Amino acid sequence: MTASLFRDILRVTGEHMLIVAIAVGVAIVLGIPLGIYCTRNPRAGRVALRVIDAIQTIPSLALFGFLIPVPFIGGIGMRTAIVALILYSLLPIVRNTFVGIRGVDPVVRDAGVALGLTSRQLLFDVELPLAMPSIVAGIRIATVIGIGVATIAAAVGGGGLGTFIFRGVAMVDTRLILAGALPAAALALIADVVLSAVERKLMNDER
Amino acid sequence: MNCLCRAFIVHRSSFIVLILLLTACAQKSPIVVGSKNFTESVILGEMVAQKLESAGCTVDRKLNMGGTFVCDSAMTSGSLDTYVEYSGTALEAILKQPKADVVAAYAKRGLHWGPPLGFNNTFAMIVRRDDAQRIPLQSISDLGKVAAQFQPGFGYEFVERPDGWNGLLHAYGIAFAKPPKTMDLGLTYKALASNEVDLIAGNSTDGLIESLGLIALADDRHYFPRYDAAIVYRNDIDKKCRGASKALETLRGRLDDAAMRRLNFEVDGRKRDVAAVVHDALGR
Repeated sequence: MTASLFRDILRVTGEHMLIVAIAVGVAIVLGIPLGIYCTRNPRAGRVALRVIDAIQTIPSLALFGFLIPVPFIGGIGMRTAIVALILYSLLPIVRNTFVGIRGVDPVVRDAGVALGLTSRQLLFDVELPLAMPSIVAGIRIATVIGIGVATIAAAVGGGGLGTFIFRGVAMVDTRLILAGALPAAALALIADVVLSAVERKLMNDER
Repeated sequence: MNCLCRAFIVHRSSFIVLILLLTACAQKSPIVVGSKNFTESVILGEMVAQKLESAGCTVDRKLNMGGTFVCDSAMTSGSLDTYVEYSGTALEAILKQPKADVVAAYAKRGLHWGPPLGFNNTFAMIVRRDDAQRIPLQSISDLGKVAAQFQPGFGYEFVERPDGWNGLLHAYGIAFAKPPKTMDLGLTYKALASNEVDLIAGNSTDGLIESLGLIALADDRHYFPRYDAAIVYRNDIDKKCRGASKALETLRGRLDDAAMRRLNFEVDGRKRDVAAVVHDALGR
């Protein structure tokens, strides 16, 4: 492997991590409140969850096609790729927040109410801590899948490891394809190990 | 057959129909017309088929067969009698002799490189029409005027291939200030139409050029090889149907780039039926 190829791999790996970090970060900030909202307003919540499910079925190239002409969030470049990845990352985060909170034992919730907790205190002191392992599991799924999905950023000039994969496919060059695919797989494995450690720690704290 | 006989007894005029059917049966095997698996090739295959039918030949359509190599091996093995091929593809991909004379090379293989249809589906550098009128831009050489501002955007293959973007810059002696944005080939037209990029590479007969208000710049230094569409047929085609080669000859020079673009747009853009589009085009 030449030194310049190695430098290129490092650079696009950095881009790749940036895309995933921003996208999953924003998806957390949007997705957890949305998941809580869904538990509080079941009817609107069902609609929101259906919409998020539906987004998941839109092929990425079609989504890019819609986004390119949209001002501020669209265009050609990393921004469009991040917006698409945020949309794809919402499902596991919102769904796991929703399921985690709904899974809290009603007896525990009633005990909180009996102690005179406000609904705000109930959320932050009882429900969210108990739902945390499920929420972290959602973040973990979003991150690991996001690392794979982020390779499509290269389809809108967004950079990342997909650049190598796209170039390799265009030139029928297996070496280039692997130069993109192997680091992506390694990143996904590392993220999975780190986040599952966090998940385990939260489970233990709970006991 | 039973049905036919009864018709014969009932109507005297049916006798003529029967005669016609019998002569049709007496004719030798049909002419097999093929095409590759993309819209333009299917349109051209249908055009060849309709032309042969109007000359009284029976035609078996094997359109949408596959890629170049499927069509070519079907031709040489005799399971296909005619299809439309591009000169550039024939020289580079089939013969692998870029400098050869395509007519002579095909004759050596027992095939006839027939009449060119009149258009050249080569690579094309494409800009928005309003830019082209404002600056103005007519040829690729004119891009020198906008090399400082224009943002190019291409698919990965055009950027990677030595005979793509880099070769073009070298051949024309132009240096662009901005490196090209690379994206999926299918998104380049959308990116150009939404002002995300100012210059893309496409094919000169893409229907979208017309419908999105774009313009293909003239390749004034002849950087891209020519891809003239021509009807290829087997030498024995006239034995299957007398007058077949003469009928195909009438298609010579029938379609220029703009006409082919319109046909592509009728089918791809307006989702019209290929047979109907070709019928209208031949009727004109």
